[in-house]
Amino acid sequence: MSKFHTTAAGTEPFDHVYCLGYQVNHEDWSPYPRVNRLRQTFLDGKYWIDIERLRLVTEAYKAHPTEPRKLQVAYAFEHVLKNCTLYIYDDDLLVGEIAAPKKAAPIYPEFSVDWILKEATTFAKREHDEFYFRSDEEMNEAIELCKWWKGKTVADRIEGRLDWDQIKGSEAGAKIFQTNLYHYAGTGHLVIDYAKLMAVGYNGLIEEAEKNLVSLDKLAVDFGDKRDFYQAMIIELKAAVAYCERYAELCREKANETKDATRKDELLQMAENCHQIAGGTPQTFWQAMQLCQIATSLLEVEGNGHSISYGRMDQWLYPYYKKDLDRGVSKEEMLEIIEVMYVKMNNPTKLKDWGSTAVRNGRGFGGESLTVGGVDKDGNDATNDLTMLLLEGSAHTRMMVPWMAVRMHSKTPYELQVKTIECIRAGYGHPKIFNDNSAIKAMMTKGMPIEEARDYCVVGCVEPDLPGKEYGWHDAAYVNTVKMMEMVINGGKFLGTDEQIGPNTGDLTTYKTFDEVLESVDKQFEYWTTQMISSLNIIDSAHRERKPLPYLSSFYQNAMDTGRDLTEGGAKYNGIGPQAAGLGTCADILTTIKQLVFDEKKVTGEELLQAVTDNWEGHEKLYALVNSSKVHHYGNDDDYADEMFKFMFDCYTGHVKGHPTQRGGQFNPGVYSVNANVAMGLGTNATIDGRKYGEAISDNMGPVHTDGGSHDIAGPTALANSIAKVDHSKASNGTLLNVKFPQEAVAGVEGRDNLVNFVEEYINKGAMHVQFNVMSSATMRAAQKHPENYKDMLVRVAGYSAYFVELGKPLQKDLIQRTELHF
Amino acid sequence: MYMKVREEKVIIVHVAQKMNGVFMEIKGNVFNIQRFTIHDGPGVRTEFFLKGCPLSCVWCSNPESQKPNIELGVYKKKCIGLKKCGACTEVCTSGALNFYRNKLVFINYDVCKNCHKCYEECPSDAIKMWGKMMSVEECMKAARADRGYYERSGGGITVSGGEPLLQADFVKELFAQCKEEGIDTCFESTFFGDWAKVEKLLPYTDLFISDIKHMDSEIHKKYTGVGNELILENLIKLSETGKPIIMRIPVIPNVNDDEVNIEKTADFLLNEMHGNVRTLQLLSYMRLGEEKYASINKEYAMADLKLNRKSFQKHVEKIAEYFNSRGIHTLVGTKEKE
Repeated sequence: MSKFHTTAAGTEPFDHVYCLGYQVNHEDWSPYPRVNRLRQTFLDGKYWIDIERLRLVTEAYKAHPTEPRKLQVAYAFEHVLKNCTLYIYDDDLLVGEIAAPKKAAPIYPEFSVDWILKEATTFAKREHDEFYFRSDEEMNEAIELCKWWKGKTVADRIEGRLDWDQIKGSEAGAKIFQTNLYHYAGTGHLVIDYAKLMAVGYNGLIEEAEKNLVSLDKLAVDFGDKRDFYQAMIIELKAAVAYCERYAELCREKANETKDATRKDELLQMAENCHQIAGGTPQTFWQAMQLCQIATSLLEVEGNGHSISYGRMDQWLYPYYKKDLDRGVSKEEMLEIIEVMYVKMNNPTKLKDWGSTAVRNGRGFGGESLTVGGVDKDGNDATNDLTMLLLEGSAHTRMMVPWMAVRMHSKTPYELQVKTIECIRAGYGHPKIFNDNSAIKAMMTKGMPIEEARDYCVVGCVEPDLPGKEYGWHDAAYVNTVKMMEMVINGGKFLGTDEQIGPNTGDLTTYKTFDEVLESVDKQFEYWTTQMISSLNIIDSAHRERKPLPYLSSFYQNAMDTGRDLTEGGAKYNGIGPQAAGLGTCADILTTIKQLVFDEKKVTGEELLQAVTDNWEGHEKLYALVNSSKVHHYGNDDDYADEMFKFMFDCYTGHVKGHPTQRGGQFNPGVYSVNANVAMGLGTNATIDGRKYGEAISDNMGPVHTDGGSHDIAGPTALANSIAKVDHSKASNGTLLNVKFPQEAVAGVEGRDNLVNFVEEYINKGAMHVQFNVMSSATMRAAQKHPENYKDMLVRVAGYSAYFVELGKPLQKDLIQRTELHF
Repeated sequence: MYMKVREEKVIIVHVAQKMNGVFMEIKGNVFNIQRFTIHDGPGVRTEFFLKGCPLSCVWCSNPESQKPNIELGVYKKKCIGLKKCGACTEVCTSGALNFYRNKLVFINYDVCKNCHKCYEECPSDAIKMWGKMMSVEECMKAARADRGYYERSGGGITVSGGEPLLQADFVKELFAQCKEEGIDTCFESTFFGDWAKVEKLLPYTDLFISDIKHMDSEIHKKYTGVGNELILENLIKLSETGKPIIMRIPVIPNVNDDEVNIEKTADFLLNEMHGNVRTLQLLSYMRLGEEKYASINKEYAMADLKLNRKSFQKHVEKIAEYFNSRGIHTLVGTKEKE
């Protein structure tokens, strides 16, 4: 455990125990009744589609047919903010939505409409992620409006430019790589410079833009472009100011209507807050949060991107916390605002095409990460009171958003370690943990000096990003590396087919040495990453051409200074980050080939190829063997197999990293799949690691679990050691490891400390990220019903630990009872 | 004075000797190495389970640990059947393999020649090998892999069994190497063995874990196969060394959970062991290891016991209260802190 300490404190002791594991029928988590009510109201609501934005944006584009694109988007933004319906919810202390009520998805026709036209009548009938139009009239109106956009969207431009080699590997073809997200929607995945926004307010930004506009050199060749840009930015910032004033007015109206004196005071204060931040700078903690809420939600109104994150909130918000604390505002009052904000962060809702939904389930925008902890620009620990309060708020709300991230390093204080683990032990899946050491190193590979690199925060799932300076296009594609491996074993064709889809780099019947196999892997990966990279460059330039983002750009100093929109490379650091899924599966495939075909010569390459071509049917003996402990497997701290993972990791990251993008900057590989590994597996043929057709491929950095058995059997320290054998900083777009612990393993003070120590050592070994699942007896019961989904859940039995689902029914029952007695 | 007990019948499978001038490396028979154990000693530990035990407790949850030789276990659920495989029958020359409804169900150890070829050929993990001869260096490799975790958590390695005193020379070498490398050591034992063996380990062992199964030697013998005299005598000697000791009681319904025995146990800990017990841990009886009994074709003697888990747990907690009231720091489970 850390030798370092902090006096930073929230409202509860740092070692306050929340609970152990997920609990069904739990009591309210928050000490604030208001927060519990807001939370419940949110959870009870249905998901709607709201067509107001679609209507307003279409009107604006029709009204400005000949304007340059930057001004068109600015007028559309302005038109929406002037006319959209405003919402103030009971109990709420903050206002500002995404031009739609909470849990209602607006439509963004600027990006794509084809899928809306195709799927409109089936949104309500989806297996998951269903959405409802409020009426058939609205649905028909939406369809009519979308028809007007045909040919004018970002997606249309992309589709007109992709060649067959690019298409055949994409979601439109064989789904070897999926670039859906930014093909059909906005990019997001960024953090604005909140510190600057708070310091100068909207008016400060407007003044700066106006100053830059008048000082443009009229003889410069790009004068027109820059003039459009600054004009558009000014229109949008002024629209934001007016929008704040509209809310101030509405708060005053509501205050007049209410008979409840307390609520009246709240509403009047909210009116004052909105008025203050309309152009001015926040004077209080509450006003800072209000400005954050509006500024952030307007990014989603403009750009449709998800994973718009909050950066290092404990750092940029701290001056307002400190000032209020000094003038007598209590920590409890500020925590209530934090919790209200957290619940509100869940409101934005995104309607996605079915293909994207399959890759990433969930109807929220998603990915709204909020980072705390870590080092400051000099490398000293930056923990403060807010670090603790923001974690408390998370434990008190336990919702999907914000996705809490705690940065850790060798001097993270003990108190923060414990607070983090207490949140994790509560079993709600937050926070995730990041290793400063590896992440800072990864940032520096993007060309940042160390002082900047130390200011990284997390966006989306696991992507390290530099607030206000980086436009990273993180999460740009999901790559099914397992399909690339299929090309390796079968001469560039899918199993059982004749179509030559990839280059013929040999197959299992022709390789004479294992080195030839590895060479073939390298060639296939080079070919397919080339198709993907070139596709992403086309997608990127379509955004530049069709959907500039002047409002967003105003929060980036470099864009403000240079007069270049973010889509044109206005950010100081630029990148595109596509991530690999299934590298664990690829590693076990290679290990199996190496061991059985070349080292032990137990089977021939031909036999293995035939077995997977037959989906293992009629090859039961071989199927059992490749899934057994007699074959080396990745994830067991076994160098034989871990070397293969390292090869795959280096192969993917090496082929992606460093290629230039049209905005400047470079491609940054990630190694994570979120939940895409499941959908990807559905369409992937049987594999040599012992996977049958349709089973999930390996997740993120994780090892293989097939229906034939879990391949990691040596426990969490062995897994952690395997994970840490690669250089995580090569994956500058992030790596991800999921670890499941039974709650029994982390129970009590000793269990807590064991988890603290586990994390500390995991980080010490150089891995970048880890997140935990802590299981409950309810989970174990669910595991009994659906063992196929719980294969790797470890339970401490007595003298040994075992996989729960491999135990006999009576013992399972006994364990469930024991767990219940624990509470 | 406690009675001298019968000679140990077990075969010691390791030796350290010079043969023709060549140093024969000492090896231990290890049937399991468990990483990230958090219950047998403080912090995160790697635990080495050594094979062979002179006791045969009816509640034993590791029946595969009892015989000192390498054994094969059968997991019939994992067997994919004669029709699809049959790899084991192709190599077995002794006729020890028994099948029922196409699946391997047990190995007849009376005729088995212990060649282990069936294990080597089995593709599905249906035949498991309990026990592996390992050198100190091989064990150290496993021990070192997690040393970062030990150092941060105050953990280390634990040697357990079976009864590891049967392989005391091997354990001594292993522990000596650990101390050389600064790794914490814990020894968990029944203490049914010569004191001289314990003495060998004393300089290299940081923590001892043992248990008292029953204070009445006759009853002890009935349920474990041996009397308790040697055990108690060794525990007294151990308590006088001043080494830290964690004591345990496996609380078995209707065997050792009556008031008289509990009181006698407390008396022993306080009076004979001079209260030199860092923590007393009560391990509630759990229905464990049934699958393992089946795998080695052995009856599970406690199969018929019906237990109301909730009321039994309360009962165990009451016993803990009693020990605490006698001034012995006692917890239910394998922890040392509340």
